[in-house]
Amino acid sequence: MEQQQIMEQLNKIFVDVLDNEDIKLTEATTANDVEEWDSLYHIQLVVAIEKYFKVKFTASEIQSWKNVGDMANAVKSKLAA
Amino acid sequence: MLFNSIEFLIFFVFVTTLYFGLPHKFRWLLLLIASCGFYMFFKPEYILILGFTIVIDYYAGIWIESAKTPAKRRQWLIMSLVANIGVLAVFKYYNFINDNITGLCNLFGYNNHIPYLSIILPIGLSFHTFQAMSYTIEVYRGNQKAERHFGIYSLYVMFYPQLVAGPIERPQNMLHQFWEKYTWDYDRVMSGLRLMAWGLFKKVVIADRLSIVVDAMYGGTYGYNTIWVFIGTFFFAYQIYCDFSGYSDIALGSARVMGFTLMKNFNFPFQAKTITDYWRRWHISLSTWFNDYLYTPLVINRRDWGKWAVVFALCFTFFISGLWHGAGWPFIIWGLLHGMAMSYEFLTKKWRKKTFKNLPLWLNNGLSQLIVFLFLQFVWIFFRADSFATAFRVIKGIFNYESFIAQFPTFTAAIRYSLLVGVFVLINFLILEKFWRNEKWKEKYEGNITLRYAVFGYMFLLFIFFGSFKNAQSFIYFQF
Repeated sequence: MEQQQIMEQLNKIFVDVLDNEDIKLTEATTANDVEEWDSLYHIQLVVAIEKYFKVKFTASEIQSWKNVGDMANAVKSKLAA
Repeated sequence: MLFNSIEFLIFFVFVTTLYFGLPHKFRWLLLLIASCGFYMFFKPEYILILGFTIVIDYYAGIWIESAKTPAKRRQWLIMSLVANIGVLAVFKYYNFINDNITGLCNLFGYNNHIPYLSIILPIGLSFHTFQAMSYTIEVYRGNQKAERHFGIYSLYVMFYPQLVAGPIERPQNMLHQFWEKYTWDYDRVMSGLRLMAWGLFKKVVIADRLSIVVDAMYGGTYGYNTIWVFIGTFFFAYQIYCDFSGYSDIALGSARVMGFTLMKNFNFPFQAKTITDYWRRWHISLSTWFNDYLYTPLVINRRDWGKWAVVFALCFTFFISGLWHGAGWPFIIWGLLHGMAMSYEFLTKKWRKKTFKNLPLWLNNGLSQLIVFLFLQFVWIFFRADSFATAFRVIKGIFNYESFIAQFPTFTAAIRYSLLVGVFVLINFLILEKFWRNEKWKEKYEGNITLRYAVFGYMFLLFIFFGSFKNAQSFIYFQF
């Protein structure tokens, strides 16, 4: 899957989980940029992403993400493996 | 040594003068010696406990970094965590655990023969132990290089402004600062001194004044009724806020004078519209610690449970947070109530958003803020009461509608005076804080030297006339 497609899908997941239609993600987006994205909802996002892409991340992978770009890259490399 | 003492004033002036007078290469040594002195003022022999964990964590950091296999890295991390938590267990929790064993034994008709320890809790133990653990965990996670300079590492744990009550720093923010050379910068020094003055004001004028009334209410001498309990718990909310944030201001300020930047610990917590929001504004260095090192690993590990993973991780984290504050069940209940409130907010977020979307924003915000404050006021009863018995007497008092007006004349003159002065200084404080909160006003205020001196002069008068000097108290958070 291409980076672009992954980003679009991530956007859908974010809108759905965080219940906010106005979310427009870029690779540089961080939790500070999205009001509803806090440590409580973060894990809901992770679970939704894992479910949709049928992948499983390790704890240290999840903790290493700094922005949406890191998340998309993690999905991409999981899918390629 | 207390920040609100003459000894500290002398200590601060002396250390700061020497700091700027010495060449940079000796400054770490000065700060380390000063910090040791500061700590040993409380109970000199306890410095050995600090020395023990410092040596262990110093080597743990280096060994984690140079370990050849992940298993070895893990092993050194565990050694460090066991040592730190072990020290806490012995000095803070031993008697509490023993109490519970006794209770269990009695339940089954046995006697508990494990002896109790008579130890005074080392001051600030929970703070510097958590800061030390942050170091080894961050080295383990690869976010921080192990510090090779033993003196600098010791200083990271012992830096006197934040040694006994935080902010609980992270190595990424702190360690490099000890290597940097800070020069005398008039504006920075003045801004640090102003922050210290503001912190001292909060402590001496507000917190220690309100504490006289709070102690009287919780003491129970005058009985409990709705208004009296309301006043006592309301005053306690502002007492603990001014006490602890005042301490943090003095810590941040005294570090800033020397050029160091400590993390922000408070962000107008009573403005919070949810409990979740409150924990982003109150004791930020502790809540982020728990978030980074306990809640997040836990919730990631249990994420298959869906929403219940969050509920479980929240309640467990706040259970531990309660225990962190004090070795006793009332503290644990206080923590659990916070965990449950946050779980409730998490589970009902979408529902609440839908239900209240037609409410005018000002009303919605106002009500939310009020509910959060009342909740805090209520659960602090468990935090402040010395036992469940007292807590329940206070809670029962909420429903006792006897007249407060009739009760008022029975108070001693000191309590009546402190109640009235307490209301007066609190109003002053709320107005001042409203100004600080508004960025625009704050900027204007800071740019206008006449206004600044006028406000400072007014605060100084309040300090002289209404400061609570006879009742100089230790800081509440020192006991943790």
